[in-house]
Amino acid sequence: MLVFIAKRARNAVLLLFLASVLCFTLVVSAPGNVAILIAELRTPTATKEDIAKVEEELGLNKPLLERYGFWLQGALKGNLGISYKTGEDVGAALRSRLSVTATLVAGGAVVAFVLSLLVGFIGALWAHRMPDYIMRGIALLGASTPSFFVGALLVYAFSVNWHLLPTFGFSGPASWVLPWLTLGFLPAAVLSRVVRVGFEDAMAKPYVLTARSKGLSQTRILFRDALPNIAPTYLNALGTQIGTMVVGAVVVEPLFAWQGLGDLFLAGVRFRDFMVVQACLLVFITFFVILNVVVDIGITLTDPRLRRQRS
Amino acid sequence: MTNIKEFMPIDRRLFLSGVSKFLAVSAASSFIPSIVSAAELKETLRIAIAKPAGDLNPHKYTGLWGVQDLLFEPLVRYGHHGKIEPGLATEWVVEDGGKRLKLTLRQGVTFHDGAPFDAKAVDWNLKRWIGLEANNWMNSSRLFDGTEIVDDRHINIRFKEPVLGLLQELAYVRPVRFLSPQSVGSDGAYKEPIGTGPWRQLSASNEGSGFERYDGYWGDKPTYKNLEVKVLPDSRGRVAALRAGDVDLIGGAFVSPLTATEAQSLKAAGVDVVVEPGTTTMVMAFNPDRVAALKDPLVRKAINLGIDRDAISKVLYRGLAEPTGNLFSEVVPLSGKRYEVPQRNVESAKSLLEKAGWVGSPVRQKDGKDLAIEIVVSEEQVPGSRSVAEVMQSELQELGIALAIRSVDHASRHSDIPERKFDLAFFQTFGAPYEPFGTVVGLFLSTYDNGVDGKLFIDPENLDPLVTAAMSAPESEMQAALQKVYDWLHDNDAIAPLLYVPGIWAHSSRVKGFDGPATEYDMPYKNITLSE
Repeated sequence: MLVFIAKRARNAVLLLFLASVLCFTLVVSAPGNVAILIAELRTPTATKEDIAKVEEELGLNKPLLERYGFWLQGALKGNLGISYKTGEDVGAALRSRLSVTATLVAGGAVVAFVLSLLVGFIGALWAHRMPDYIMRGIALLGASTPSFFVGALLVYAFSVNWHLLPTFGFSGPASWVLPWLTLGFLPAAVLSRVVRVGFEDAMAKPYVLTARSKGLSQTRILFRDALPNIAPTYLNALGTQIGTMVVGAVVVEPLFAWQGLGDLFLAGVRFRDFMVVQACLLVFITFFVILNVVVDIGITLTDPRLRRQRS
Repeated sequence: MTNIKEFMPIDRRLFLSGVSKFLAVSAASSFIPSIVSAAELKETLRIAIAKPAGDLNPHKYTGLWGVQDLLFEPLVRYGHHGKIEPGLATEWVVEDGGKRLKLTLRQGVTFHDGAPFDAKAVDWNLKRWIGLEANNWMNSSRLFDGTEIVDDRHINIRFKEPVLGLLQELAYVRPVRFLSPQSVGSDGAYKEPIGTGPWRQLSASNEGSGFERYDGYWGDKPTYKNLEVKVLPDSRGRVAALRAGDVDLIGGAFVSPLTATEAQSLKAAGVDVVVEPGTTTMVMAFNPDRVAALKDPLVRKAINLGIDRDAISKVLYRGLAEPTGNLFSEVVPLSGKRYEVPQRNVESAKSLLEKAGWVGSPVRQKDGKDLAIEIVVSEEQVPGSRSVAEVMQSELQELGIALAIRSVDHASRHSDIPERKFDLAFFQTFGAPYEPFGTVVGLFLSTYDNGVDGKLFIDPENLDPLVTAAMSAPESEMQAALQKVYDWLHDNDAIAPLLYVPGIWAHSSRVKGFDGPATEYDMPYKNITLSE
């Protein structure tokens, strides 16, 4: 197992490096000049000289390789630079916003986990009957509805109409409910199909026939025999969905005025704030890599065949 | 068999009851602050802002105008219809042929920290911005010559030359407003936002800022104790927050923009919506330097006649914006005589193009070249402009003009427009208090470096002399001199004014006495009272 983790860690470092190169290339090749935007912040009618001064000051006129090298050197020492727009330390900005995004993604993941199992189980328990069709409809609707629309509907129902929950803010559990539901709804819909289809496959296996012949109930077979068998597939899909939730946070955070990493990243992209964009991507990629490792370990632990193979 | 309870004293029932209690307590705890704050709510005006207030140093350009306006005051205020009203100065006289401004300061004014607002404070503030290179886009800064403190209540400001639009400049939000001399560090670096305004800041974060009424304020004090600005970046979120009663006021171009569609949906839901005429004009620019066809005034006139301004108003502002043929709205001082609003006339437009030598179908040609042009649009600059461009695309296609649309983001527009990488583009005039000279000089005088805002139209030979004459005209002749600029632009179809951008606000029913601000840079809190 240790060798496995070490190999994954090595790959992760390589991946991080390649991703940071790619990100740098994409950001600097995008049209628009951050120096113009900064110069405009300093003086409303910034002249060409003002812009050149900003470029000189921030090293934006230096060769690309040198700029990247400079950034990499700092990043390796834990210094992620200074935001071009706000002048704030990017590391500090990330730290202050990390807990917001972590709360959002963790809550969204719990929602996705609970809802998907619930919908999947109901479908499997009443397979090819009305409850199954209803759950399938809900899943289809959920998978094809964008987060911002789900969020708007939830806000309209729970905040505008019934005044039960706040429309925005990060001020305690009541304010977390709608963002969690918004973020978790789409992954829940996708995962519920994984559960439902997984159960369909598992229930056709000979061991289920054996269990039935022993007189075990449908519920018991689902929980005791089928569930452990779909666990590896489900964990894999859950990992992927949690990964996409980080992307979803970019949409959900501004909708509920949460000042998280998604919001910071979006502002960075709009302003061509390379330091912020690069740092956010670094966090996102690190999260993806760690998540994948955790999922791999989880799958190995839940699947005895893989455990034997890897040992 | 060993009883499992010996090892696990928690059974399922106990576990589930524990979890449910924890969740109930957590949920209740999140509601407690709202119950506690219910009493304070009566005394609090909550305004949505689209982005954090930022660094509020009034001598820099980083903070949010509206929030700076809560804390910092000018010597004179820009009122409705451009009327200059007393602020921290009660009297002012321009002498010595416009080269000296004599100011009488208001008595009994103190900063939030108790420091007196006197001639020394004025002098200290002026020295922090006036005459500095970064502020030389302002005439008063570029032509500054010195100050003379007469006594505590009187100060004179000297200029090298008469300053065009001097009093208007002194009414700007930044960098001209007044900061307490005690609110800086020993090195002179800005520390805290302490001004003379009716509000003083209590807290600030990325989520919003809190203010309390400054009871030592010299003027009419607000009738409520607190004011909060809450950061709501998403416009749908702002609309929902207003409808749910989580904020009281949204709107304004720079506070928390509200689209016309959103305003209409709010109105349909019974929310109070206020639409003001606005001081900004949306104008389409032609760039003859990039497309030879646009050098011909006949082609420009044809395009001008080919556009349906009513349709644009409907697409962008649901008909709330007034179509126009003028550069400035009537509410802008010295805005000149009214021209007729060009009505879409396909036949006239076609005959103009034929007269100019552009013939053929479906795309007209001249000397083997297609009449093909490109329009640059940025949704971030003008939301909905992409849709407007699409409407224009189909309208111009009817005339035999192929219009390509290039959508760019804010950053790209800021590069392309000053570099004149566009054939057609949407501009907005600066609006009050910068008008009319902000736009006339900034967007038309070729020799004036307007930086990232670019130029609406330039013609060094014909237009520059007219603009220069207007700039240097004595006050009594200024109106006539500016009219010559407007006439030239109109007669040559140099620009295509489209519509006046309305100021749109919406507020909750507990807000009474709302009055739209004189400029989009002010926060409209002044006449508001809060009902139960």
